[in-house]
Amino acid sequence: MKDIVSVDHLRVEFATDSGPVVGVEDVSFTIAPGETLCVVGESGSGKSVTSLSLMRLVEFGGGAITAGALNFVRADGSTLDVAAAPPEIMGQVRGNEIGMIFQEPMTALNPVFTIERQLTDGLMLHKGLNQPAATARALELLRSVRIPEPERRLKQYPHELSGGMRQRVVIAMAMACEPKLLIADEPTTALDVTIQAEILALINRLKRENGMAVLFITHDMAVVAQMADRVVVMYRGKIVETGTVQQIFEAPREDYTKSLLAAVPKLGEMKGKAAPERMRLIGDEAARATQTAPEPREPQVLLEVRNLTTRFPVKGGILRRTVAQVHAVEDVSFTLNVGETLALVGESGCGKSSCGRSILRLIEPASGEVWIAGRDIGALNRRDLRRARADMQMVFQDPFASLNPYRRLKAQVAEPLQNFGLASGAELEARVLQLFDKVQLPRDFMNRFPHELSGGQRQRVAIARALAVNPKLIVADEAVSALDVSVQAQVLNLMMDLQEDLGLSYLFISHDIAVVERVAHHVGVMYLGRIVEIGPRAAVFDNPTHPYTRSLLSAVPIADPRNRRFADDLNFKPITSPIFPLGHQPAPSLYDQIAPAHYVLRA
Amino acid sequence: MKRFKTTKGLIGIVLLLAIALIAILGPMIIPPEASTAMDMHARRSPPTLIHLFGTDQLGRDLMFRVILGARTSLEIAVSAVVMSVVLGLPLGLISGYFGGLTDNVLMRLVDTLLAFPALLLALTISAVLGPNLQNTIIAIGVAFTPYLARIIRGEALRVAQMPYVEAARSSGTTDIMIMGRHVLPNILPAVIVQGTISLAFAILAEAGLSFLGLGTQPPAASWGLMIQASRDQLDIAPWTAIVPGLAVALTVLGLNMFGDVLRDILDPRAK
Amino acid sequence: MTLPAGQYRPAGSPHAGLPMTYILNRLLSVTLTLFLITLVTFAVTNILPGDVAMMIMGTQSNPEALTGLRESLGLNDPLLVQYGHWVGGMVSGNWGDSLIFKKPILGLLGQKIVASAIIVVLSMAIALALAVPLGVWAAVHRDKWQDNVSSSAALLGVSLPDFFWGIVMILVFARWLGWFPSSGFVEPSVDPLGALQRAFLPSLALGLGLMAHLTRMTRSTMTGILSQEFIRVARAKGLAERTVIWRYALANAIGPVITIAGLQIGYLFGSIIVMESLFGYTGMGWLTYQALLNRDLPLIQDTVFVIAAVVMLTNLAVDLLYVVIDPRIRLG
Repeated sequence: MKDIVSVDHLRVEFATDSGPVVGVEDVSFTIAPGETLCVVGESGSGKSVTSLSLMRLVEFGGGAITAGALNFVRADGSTLDVAAAPPEIMGQVRGNEIGMIFQEPMTALNPVFTIERQLTDGLMLHKGLNQPAATARALELLRSVRIPEPERRLKQYPHELSGGMRQRVVIAMAMACEPKLLIADEPTTALDVTIQAEILALINRLKRENGMAVLFITHDMAVVAQMADRVVVMYRGKIVETGTVQQIFEAPREDYTKSLLAAVPKLGEMKGKAAPERMRLIGDEAARATQTAPEPREPQVLLEVRNLTTRFPVKGGILRRTVAQVHAVEDVSFTLNVGETLALVGESGCGKSSCGRSILRLIEPASGEVWIAGRDIGALNRRDLRRARADMQMVFQDPFASLNPYRRLKAQVAEPLQNFGLASGAELEARVLQLFDKVQLPRDFMNRFPHELSGGQRQRVAIARALAVNPKLIVADEAVSALDVSVQAQVLNLMMDLQEDLGLSYLFISHDIAVVERVAHHVGVMYLGRIVEIGPRAAVFDNPTHPYTRSLLSAVPIADPRNRRFADDLNFKPITSPIFPLGHQPAPSLYDQIAPAHYVLRA
Repeated sequence: MKRFKTTKGLIGIVLLLAIALIAILGPMIIPPEASTAMDMHARRSPPTLIHLFGTDQLGRDLMFRVILGARTSLEIAVSAVVMSVVLGLPLGLISGYFGGLTDNVLMRLVDTLLAFPALLLALTISAVLGPNLQNTIIAIGVAFTPYLARIIRGEALRVAQMPYVEAARSSGTTDIMIMGRHVLPNILPAVIVQGTISLAFAILAEAGLSFLGLGTQPPAASWGLMIQASRDQLDIAPWTAIVPGLAVALTVLGLNMFGDVLRDILDPRAK
Repeated sequence: MTLPAGQYRPAGSPHAGLPMTYILNRLLSVTLTLFLITLVTFAVTNILPGDVAMMIMGTQSNPEALTGLRESLGLNDPLLVQYGHWVGGMVSGNWGDSLIFKKPILGLLGQKIVASAIIVVLSMAIALALAVPLGVWAAVHRDKWQDNVSSSAALLGVSLPDFFWGIVMILVFARWLGWFPSSGFVEPSVDPLGALQRAFLPSLALGLGLMAHLTRMTRSTMTGILSQEFIRVARAKGLAERTVIWRYALANAIGPVITIAGLQIGYLFGSIIVMESLFGYTGMGWLTYQALLNRDLPLIQDTVFVIAAVVMLTNLAVDLLYVVIDPRIRLG
């Protein structure tokens, strides 16, 4: 069959103050009708530029197609070179013959127009429908993307819909005119894992039913494995490798593809293994034996959390009185042993971050006890708490916001040491040097400012700062989530090395279940402020018992094209609100023990 | 594009430097009598070779008066803005960093003050205290304080929520140290930008106050006073209004251009 | 703790009408602010150093007259009592008499505020009518020559004192062209056209300065909106660029622009003091100026209070308008 798209030696340049910069060059690929082509690459690889070029939207971002052809077979069978098409023709193609969906469902819909208006304007423009006909079609579209109560949604504004529902509306909008090609640019990156699964399944079904081709842009190899028929791997504006999804995953030819694949954790690959393992990194095997047999250690409790509860006031009225409460953390208890990692996993808003912050008393818990190394943190006064902070440190998610942009790195790493009077003068300098060595950063970085570093390097500085006071516990709140996958693997390995060398305990807060499977000794699954299931990693992953744990695990994409999970429609139970009126007395968390150390919340 | 911004910034800096030089050096070079000397043969003289910018109704040389006025205007504007920063910075910093009740009370007060038009507040204070140079400074300084406090509070609030502040707190840094090491340096760019823009407004406010007779008092030379004096002779001697008006415009233009470029450089969010 | 914006809002759309509790809360807040405004007004006019009687009559006045004035104004009472008298009088409708006009202040204010309202509304209308298209145009052609031209013009506009614009208006339109009267005021009820004619030049002068400011604000608001994802989505739907800008983007910009314009009401009420005096237009600004110039303390207090109250109430009205315009605003 004739290819619907054939891109030939595409080159896109961006005008900047210092002359033109090449966005992508020499990019060629084809898409057959009914096929899903995944373009995968890390940030800056040019994958989005490629997709925007196909819609000629790249021009609105200051780019220009300077060479190559983008041939697209139109509905009437004629071939159009998009690169040379006049604006009127592009107006007919966009939204009509090619649909596109974007990354941010929260901002992809116009906040001041109703859903109905946004769904119908394209239909009226391209299909010449009148308002009633367009509304009828819009309703049909909302049904086809399985939005509950579609009639009501039409009259609603975007902010009244959840993120998952908004992305369904965006897809409905893109599908409105039954395009022959759908471009999906990181459509699930901003979504929680269960909603991601739903959206991926939806795209698959729509593609099947409409015989439409899909150009799917993503950075996530696991998503590629689940979605792609063929794969294009991009790196720094160029194509590295093209092949079928099986070829790419099972017999990658290029080193870049190999390293990219190696760094991706595959859910299920830890089956039958007791201890965590370092991430695979190509060219890094020699650095340290992959498997250092963990010394059998007498388990010794470092952190004990009992019935921790944290609430946030919802303020209202002129006096800013509290009118309701967010039950962010609800009756949470667990222990963490010396030298081990406990991962708290869950979707956004489940309270995992609040839990970590409450333990460090960065926010004050409403009730409960936190014991670290035999000391009751909750009972400390201000001065003692300040001293106790030396034992417990935190690493934050955003490597760009967690360092003060106006201070040299040296000063930032030294600050905790100075706070506790641990070192001064030459000794301080020496200690900071050691810390930079420990996180494998060149010593001359000491005198730099944060903006001179990459994201991964900054995260290493943040770790060095946390290590400065020799803490026993580190709370890592989505500490690697913002990093590209290969950098993420390096930072994770560093953290595991440090754990082994220094006997650190980590409270590892993450939404990424495949990463958690690799690094954690114990796992706690959080849902609506409570731990619904907690136990040794192997027990939770091999025998998930709570219904929420099961649905969460079933929604994780696996980086293996032979293990596809999102063919049929998926509908997970939507998460309800954790807001309750004042005086609401929630039931205590009661658990059933189903195996040694494996507890499940009683319904 | 970058060229336009660079040019704009350059023009702004050159304008400001020139005006500052004139304001500082002018009174040293020009004998004080020169500006009050009345040339009775050339009253309301249009610009000529003898009187480059013309003369006023008393035959006083407008160029000398505009140069002396530069000093008055800048002195008042700079002092008033320094005063409003000195008052507004601690207010906004404490309010934004600590939040809670302190913030509620302070910002309620600031919001109330913001209901009073700055010019009205300045005029009233000046009228009550009695108009003179020092009270003009106080009047403008007080009138501008709530604006500065509001903006600084917003910045402090934003910075106080940054992870690096949380990181500092979690590694035992005290509140005072956090404010000094982390919050202050990060809100300083916004303060500098706002200060520059406030300077422009202060120049305009001083001119307005003096124009209404509630600012600088004669016989001192001030741009606002000069424009006021020109009101009755617009038909016959328009240059008496145009010369000081242009002086105000160029100074404020310089400050605004400089402020715009400063904002682009210092405040990445405004890009 | 970051809650996704708008995720946990209480049920019920704002279009169902403003809930009673919201209105009550706002009313309570307004009363509190009015009370604070009286405090600030009183503080500024009374607590500052200086003998009020001497300030009014001048340092050379004779002691008996000073004593008499102190007595009649109640200046010998404790400050708290004076404040109580003032606020109590206003609440009961007795706003006192002006010293210079020898008339009840309440009547004076009622008359003058209408005159000033004409100017404020007219100048705001002129400013918005010019600034919005200009700002949008600049934002659409961001960083191109159109933007530079519009930015430069706006920069020049904000750099000139508005009374300078007033002088230019008088020179050009009144003296040279003779199209408009250069000064004065007539009652709109007596001669509506004449009233508008006399309000036009001061309004134009004020409007031009304001326009420059609003153009800059519209540009930056629109620039922010045009870089958002939903604009890209609208383009990807194949909508014409015209529709994308003048419907999709502008519908989002209008709320912020109106808010910014509303905040400028305060600036306008400051500027009318200068402008009305310049044009001999006898409105609130002129009245305030006369009061300040002649140290008419009762009149100063009342005009300052009224202007602050009007500014506050206008801002409140703009807030409420925003709630109507923007479906996202959460009530409460």
